[in-house]
Amino acid sequence: MIAAPRLSSSFLQASGHALPEPLMALRKQRGTALIDMPLPTRKTENWKYSSRYLKLDDELATGLPAAGKTGPELAVAGYHVVFHNGVMVPEASDYPDVDGITIQRFADLDDDEALELAERLDNTLDSNAVQLARLNSARFEDGLYIRLKADAVLDQPLYIVCETDASTPGSAYPRIYVDAGRHSKITLVEEYITSGAESAMVNTVTEFALSEGAQVTSIRLALDGDNVQHIGATGARLKNNARFESHTVGFGGPLRRHDLQVRLEGPGAECVLNGVVVTQDKQHYDNHTTIEHVAPHCNSDETYRNIAADESHAIFNGRIHIHPDAQKSNANMSNKNLLLSTGAEIDTKPELEIYADDVKCAHGATVGQLNADSIFYLVSRGIGRREARALLSMAFINELVERIPVEPVKETVQARLNLFFEQTFNEA
Amino acid sequence: MANTDKQVNELIKREYEHGFVTEIESDTFEPGLSEDVIRRLSAIKNEPEFMLEWRLKAYRRWLEMDEPEWAHVHYPKVDYDSISYYSAPKKKEDMLQSLDEVDPELLRTYEKLGIPLHERAALAGVAVDAVFDSVSVATTFKEPLAKAGVIFCSISEAVKEHPELVKKYLGSVVPAGDNFFACLNAATFSDGTFVYVPKGVRCPMELSTYFRINAANTGQFERTLIIAEAGSYVSYLEGCTAPMRDENQLHAAVVELVAMDDAQIKYSTVQNWYPGDENGKGGIYNFVTKRGACIGKNSKISWTQVETGSAITWKYPSCILRGENSVGEFYSVALTNNYQQADTGTKMIHLGKNTSSTIISKGISAGHSSNAYRGLVKFGPGAEGARNFTQCDSLLIGDKSAAHTFPYIETKNKGAILEHEATTSKVSDEQMFLCRQRGIDPEQAVSMIVNGFCREVFKELPMEFAVEAGKLLEVSLEGSVG
Repeated sequence: MIAAPRLSSSFLQASGHALPEPLMALRKQRGTALIDMPLPTRKTENWKYSSRYLKLDDELATGLPAAGKTGPELAVAGYHVVFHNGVMVPEASDYPDVDGITIQRFADLDDDEALELAERLDNTLDSNAVQLARLNSARFEDGLYIRLKADAVLDQPLYIVCETDASTPGSAYPRIYVDAGRHSKITLVEEYITSGAESAMVNTVTEFALSEGAQVTSIRLALDGDNVQHIGATGARLKNNARFESHTVGFGGPLRRHDLQVRLEGPGAECVLNGVVVTQDKQHYDNHTTIEHVAPHCNSDETYRNIAADESHAIFNGRIHIHPDAQKSNANMSNKNLLLSTGAEIDTKPELEIYADDVKCAHGATVGQLNADSIFYLVSRGIGRREARALLSMAFINELVERIPVEPVKETVQARLNLFFEQTFNEA
Repeated sequence: MANTDKQVNELIKREYEHGFVTEIESDTFEPGLSEDVIRRLSAIKNEPEFMLEWRLKAYRRWLEMDEPEWAHVHYPKVDYDSISYYSAPKKKEDMLQSLDEVDPELLRTYEKLGIPLHERAALAGVAVDAVFDSVSVATTFKEPLAKAGVIFCSISEAVKEHPELVKKYLGSVVPAGDNFFACLNAATFSDGTFVYVPKGVRCPMELSTYFRINAANTGQFERTLIIAEAGSYVSYLEGCTAPMRDENQLHAAVVELVAMDDAQIKYSTVQNWYPGDENGKGGIYNFVTKRGACIGKNSKISWTQVETGSAITWKYPSCILRGENSVGEFYSVALTNNYQQADTGTKMIHLGKNTSSTIISKGISAGHSSNAYRGLVKFGPGAEGARNFTQCDSLLIGDKSAAHTFPYIETKNKGAILEHEATTSKVSDEQMFLCRQRGIDPEQAVSMIVNGFCREVFKELPMEFAVEAGKLLEVSLEGSVG
């Protein structure tokens, strides 16, 4: 047996940024736990198809400098917070000061607040399943702590733009924690983008704690460049009657990994998870989702669609776990995949693990190609072959894009997807 | 509903009826495994040198392997040195000339199991190879089969009589080092069935093997090899039982199927090893590797299994679809009750053009049992126009049971189409109400609903087996409905 590769110790070097004491202590403690951590290999079940894309060279260990720049220009107006290499840029940010809603960067927390946060960080994620996201807990240099008091409602979506500036090689660790109080309501848009052309890694963790009746909508756009490996984790815990809605849109890259873990802990909790992934060239994208039905009477509905072109590789792994007492659970999972080229690969594994009998669970998965009859139909009506294929491919995922509840985001995504299909089919 | 529960619970509690022990003198090896044991085994069987070499090579590989842990089953580790690797009923002569020389006690055992070995009494049209512990004790209908050119004998006999065939095909589908249990089997297999159907021959009758574990503290390691030459057809059935004992016994078999151009192999199993008692004590560990290779064009391999027995089942009958237009099928009913655990499913590896496969899997879990479907559908880059349809449904009876689905889907060809569906549900109150309202008692109602749930699979079984499978299901379900 060849010994599994280990995380290079250079990834665990002390970070330069000053944070409130409790967070520094947490970071140190998490770092110690990662010493000699084995890196995932082909034999690691949840990295089976992706470990070969993971390249954690020593040069990536260096924390990317946060230059305090003004940040990227935003395409959309509205509340926004800008992160540059994992550190917030207050000058570029504009967010409301509303009663009952506190939005703070980690660096600005007082000791009591920091202590409270340190106790909460990581509590929505199963750390065994998100091995590499644990690196974030050891390395984050700043973050955003959002608290909503009972009945607080944020009237507009909050955009969080995380720019990875890869002017030099290195890594960045953006971090977000949202604590949504009883019957509060918030829509969050996370957007991950890249500037600079050196190789880099961005490792993100976003957590949501939803109290009774809280409603959170999370939209996540992974738009990083082809020089950036993206490893992200999102965790959500839901109490009674809370509702979590997630829309993720991902474009491929050298390594793209997103773990989404939702725990339905109170009766009546509900989650809706939608995901769209498109990959081309030699790109990669790996979505892993877990829905834990811990309490009875919960609903979950999950729909993911992947399109892989050229020699790219898209992966979906969805797991629904119904705990022994979670009677009257309702869970639905659907994963449809479109393979546009024979060089491309799609791997999918929709899993069910059920320990209660009075449940309704179903999952479905398909892999296929564009329907020749449909193409013929369009061509016979005077639409070009390429255009027809682009149109049909767009139609395959547009149903999910249409569900994105924030209009400007939806339009941005549609424009980017159209561009993607234009590129894909023009080369073909 | 409470009343229903009670009646249903009574239904599930029926006992395992094949749990008796045959008092017969047998030659049994001391427990333990070493190169010496393998040499002795090979010597007893008068095997040619190449077999011994093959076994020893496998044994050395096995020593370096780790027992797999990925399956969704939990059991105390097997102590491979406490198992005896060979046990055979004592016989007077070296070779049996005819059935008349078989120990009458053995014949009675098989009669008791409902498998009469006397040809005149045997079910018309089914030839049986009876395997008792480590050896094949009788094979019926050999002559009429030989007339058709079909070779049907124990694998030990085949090693001696047809070494060229054995040499060519043994390990060609499941290599000796394929996995931990297959490797152990390669080193220690003691007997099994060999079938060779020559070109263009449609095997005149159903072939079957009946496996029986009798001796205590032994493992059964049998190996089956079926070769269907171009244009041939064979249907093969397999049944198994074991006595009730408090200790767990290991059964690690390997089955290899080879189908050439236009050949068809239909392989059906009714697995009814002793499942342990209602507290999960005892029972057989059934760790089996079954795989078929569709080498030729238009070939077809079809697996049908009804799994009701064993404490733990770990079994994935698979098809490698290499030939153009070849077809793989997998129909399965797996029922677990009490503390049984099953992790079973299939692998369909599509390599050739226009290959197609169908998977229908029905899992039923009752009591405290856990039942998992684990499957792989893979389309290689050359699998242009390949097609797969998978449906795996689970039925839960009782709130302590568990059902899981782990389907792996890997596609590397854009011309391939795959559909996968899975559902999990329970016997609904509405269904029960409807039946009861029409005067059907709960026991019958559950049995009817379960039978309906499994229909798609049962209709694939040969007739005699379908009847047996239906009954078996009723028996196994006794006491589980709630």
